[in-house]
Amino acid sequence: MSLATGAEVIVENVSKSFGRISALREVSLRAGPGEAVSIAGRSGSGKTTLLALIGGLEQPDAGQIMIDGRAIWKEPRPAQARREVVGFVFQRHLLLGALSARANVEVPLIGAGVHRSERRRRALSLLEEVGLAGRADHLPSELSGGESQRVAVARALANEPRLLLADEPTGALDSKTSERVLDLLFRLRDQLGMTLVVVSYDTAVSARADCTITLTDGTIDSANVMLSRQ
Amino acid sequence: MFAIITTNLLRRSARTVFTALGIAVGVAMIVALLSFTQGLKETAAGLVHLGGSDLGVFQANVSDPTASILPDSLVGRLAASPDVAQATPLLLIVEGLKQDQSAIVFGADRAGFFTRGLVLIAGRPPLRGAPEVLLGDRLARSLRLPSGGVLSIHGRYYRVAGIYHSGILFEDSGAVLSLAQAQALVGRPGEVTDVVVQLATGARASSAAQRIEHSFPGTQVITDPQQALRAGANGTLISKAVLVIVVIALIVGSISVANTMAMSIMERQGELGLLSTVGWSPLRVASLILGEGIAVSVLGAAGGLLLGVIGGGLLVGALGVSAYVAPSVTAWGLGRGLLVGVAIGVLGGIYPAWRVTRMRPLRALSAARG
Repeated sequence: MSLATGAEVIVENVSKSFGRISALREVSLRAGPGEAVSIAGRSGSGKTTLLALIGGLEQPDAGQIMIDGRAIWKEPRPAQARREVVGFVFQRHLLLGALSARANVEVPLIGAGVHRSERRRRALSLLEEVGLAGRADHLPSELSGGESQRVAVARALANEPRLLLADEPTGALDSKTSERVLDLLFRLRDQLGMTLVVVSYDTAVSARADCTITLTDGTIDSANVMLSRQ
Repeated sequence: MFAIITTNLLRRSARTVFTALGIAVGVAMIVALLSFTQGLKETAAGLVHLGGSDLGVFQANVSDPTASILPDSLVGRLAASPDVAQATPLLLIVEGLKQDQSAIVFGADRAGFFTRGLVLIAGRPPLRGAPEVLLGDRLARSLRLPSGGVLSIHGRYYRVAGIYHSGILFEDSGAVLSLAQAQALVGRPGEVTDVVVQLATGARASSAAQRIEHSFPGTQVITDPQQALRAGANGTLISKAVLVIVVIALIVGSISVANTMAMSIMERQGELGLLSTVGWSPLRVASLILGEGIAVSVLGAAGGLLLGVIGGGLLVGALGVSAYVAPSVTAWGLGRGLLVGVAIGVLGGIYPAWRVTRMRPLRALSAARG
């Protein structure tokens, strides 16, 4: 897998409402290339919304979000822009149940129009990277929770993203498996140099991140911005 | 993409099978009716070209050519026409045989080209004035009646003088009486059903037909099978029935596919949201849904083609017309069935596919997470 340069993420005064519910209010943050940012906060505080906005899955009502100077949601083809820059990992792995681990990793590559043989090669290489080379032909139902999440990480890396967004990636795992998945995420961040934004209430994530912000009712609690690593 | 489509259809196999089955029934009806219509067309060709004629003169505006009534005095006048080489009258008696309601008894002039064209393969020609009949070889086989046997027509008994073969399904599945005997039998002296005509050398059927219709008001000249089908109420009804069934199949099939695919996308919001999240364009996700709709329809259409071929034979049997209509399956008939199947998939897949393009990935993922 090639070494990617991390993307710079700039979020400036972003607000987002769903109907009458205000999910985010004038949120700003900045993540430099290769940095790991942890977003903490209670359930309903707007963490997932912020992550979706950064990934271009939703557009902000106000403010702007730039990934390496590009506003993904403003691009004429946001899906393509997302594919080129961003990888997602979710709390529940969201693997396609009828497809093998390898085929699941290939899914983003199908969207990118990568040739079949190349897809297969890259998927196997990524599964090897996450320690699941021997489970390539297994269905998600035949994998443990931790293994499924590692497949999801491999899938997120398929398009060699410069920004990896993880939404509570350890939320559904026991502490031991969580540790392994976090090890994997941060090891890959170190290896590949990508920028990592992790939504998590897990203090282990904050401890490893370069910076942690805490959201409270859709705003950043400025008293709670921590620089974990210098 | 193809692998994902296949996998998605297989994992909901019962739903896929039932949807495909619904489409199969619609396509089968279309194919069966098309093969029946084609068979009817080929039969109509036999009706038009009875005895090797070039055209047939019938009464105008009748619901069915076999119900035509013309005076036999017309024959002489027609024969005198410069376009006509030979003309001979025919009286068609339908449902005259109890043993085979679909067989037609032809009342024909013994000296006419119709009777002269029959090739006797057993027995002899009927004796003049004797209650004797000639039997087509197909009818003889189906009734297991040899020459010398006795045949009942409208309750009267006739000796089978001989068995003939003409190569025309209608004729070989019927029997031939003398015209006078036939007229007496049905109480229509001086009347015939039609006059079959062989054109003079160099005469063109279409222009001759126009001249004949102009010279003999109240007649219609049928020169080709399509015309015969149009002239006959049965053919027209069947053609219209095919059209109606195509439209119904398209509507019902499309709704069925749309419903199946709409249910599918509701259940798979998370999956579809995920595809969008990992960079699949809305068009590609829509193509997946449309592809699944088309795949299930093609599956149904394939089953429908098979059922239709079998159904065509069953339909002919059920209508009791197997003696003179053989269902004819053509590549174009099958192609039309397949086209309807694909059209069902496309029409039924459009709405769900459009909905997918409107889906917001975050909402879809949230719905999947519950």
